[in-house]
Amino acid sequence: MDKRVWAIGGGKGGTGKSFVAASLGLHLASLDRDVVMVDADLGAPNLHTLLGLKAGHPDLGDFLTGRVPSLEAAAVATPYRGLRLVRGSENILFIANLPHFRKLRLLRQIRQLATQNVILDLGTGSSFNTLDFFLSGNPGVVVATPEPTAIENTYLFLKSCIMRVLKLYMDHYKIRDLHQKMLDQIEKNSQSLYGFFRSLMETDRAYGTILYRALRGFRPCLVMNKTRDERDVLLGRSVADVARKYLLIDMKYLGAIPYDEDVQSSLRGLRPYYPEHKDAAAARAIRQMSEELAYSIEFTLRTPPEIRLPDT
Amino acid sequence: MLKKIEDWNYYELLSVERTASPDEIWEGYQAAMATYQDGSLALYGLVSEAERELVLGRVQEAFQTLRDQDLRREYDLTLLRHAPYFPPKAAFRKSVGRLEIEEAPPRPTLRARIKRLFVRNP
Repeated sequence: MDKRVWAIGGGKGGTGKSFVAASLGLHLASLDRDVVMVDADLGAPNLHTLLGLKAGHPDLGDFLTGRVPSLEAAAVATPYRGLRLVRGSENILFIANLPHFRKLRLLRQIRQLATQNVILDLGTGSSFNTLDFFLSGNPGVVVATPEPTAIENTYLFLKSCIMRVLKLYMDHYKIRDLHQKMLDQIEKNSQSLYGFFRSLMETDRAYGTILYRALRGFRPCLVMNKTRDERDVLLGRSVADVARKYLLIDMKYLGAIPYDEDVQSSLRGLRPYYPEHKDAAAARAIRQMSEELAYSIEFTLRTPPEIRLPDT
Repeated sequence: MLKKIEDWNYYELLSVERTASPDEIWEGYQAAMATYQDGSLALYGLVSEAERELVLGRVQEAFQTLRDQDLRREYDLTLLRHAPYFPPKAAFRKSVGRLEIEEAPPRPTLRARIKRLFVRNP
């Protein structure tokens, strides 16, 4: 069976990325799967807290600075059988501005982890580091909430991912002059991506086809968190549909996780939510979500888009 | 498929299959109305007001057409007319110089072919 890297990301802080990551990890571990969670939130790591653990060493920073020989060695056992965790680094200033070669090393080591399931809990924003971690995931899961700010940032995040994918392919095929053209055009309006591809297809069909295929290979999933009514659930479907039509990406809506007060109370008690509330609607939604992906033929059969990062 | 909003067909607008049942079309219409209604959150920060109104008008047009069996059939035919032409891959019958799918006359029997050699207007 292939390794699955679940990259949980999103454009806005506080949407529940770490909550989704922690619950997903605990759910997979409860099915006797081998899971390694990596707290790749370089600016504000707190996945350990959501798992009811204390910060400590070894952590991601120890691996990146060479104090620990491999990422495998930085993955510590948790009280949950089958679940290991690479804690986020406390040395935030160093790690938030991760140099390029260290990022490549980390991405390589993530692929080499001896486990079937890796869950990456990513930080907020559209820094190259975050985007590259998100793009390395299969599946990449975007977590949003039904608020205008979250929706706006979700689109921004997706646009940044798209531009990053296209930039990586442009660099790989040495078509660098297109990059500025893309930046100029994509900022204009909602139809800009279409316009960019249309004009590219007219001027250079071969490159247009390569880039369009690269774009279609980027297939993120969407989770709407903290939904309170049916309208919020439908909003997720609408967002995925709009992304398909305007951003030209094949986005899959995984479903909604209903708002639950117990999430807050579990967090205050420094206890993970999932094992204690397995019958709650939010926990059921997490299970359904992971099963949807695990048994989805399109995701099982497809190979993840191989994105080669430039060495410079 | 690389398409502009104006080029989306009614099925794509409602995000349903071409073989969708009336219930599925109704469901697709409801979802599309929720997406493109005034003040919709789903478009926030991405789609302009003018564009939203344009698509909303087309969504309503799509539903009016697809809910009616006759109009839908007619619309399906126009879609077929716009579809790219694929040459038929039927067997070519050398004896009559025509494709099998065309109404080729039956192959003349040996007796008829011999007769044709001697009789000018059979």
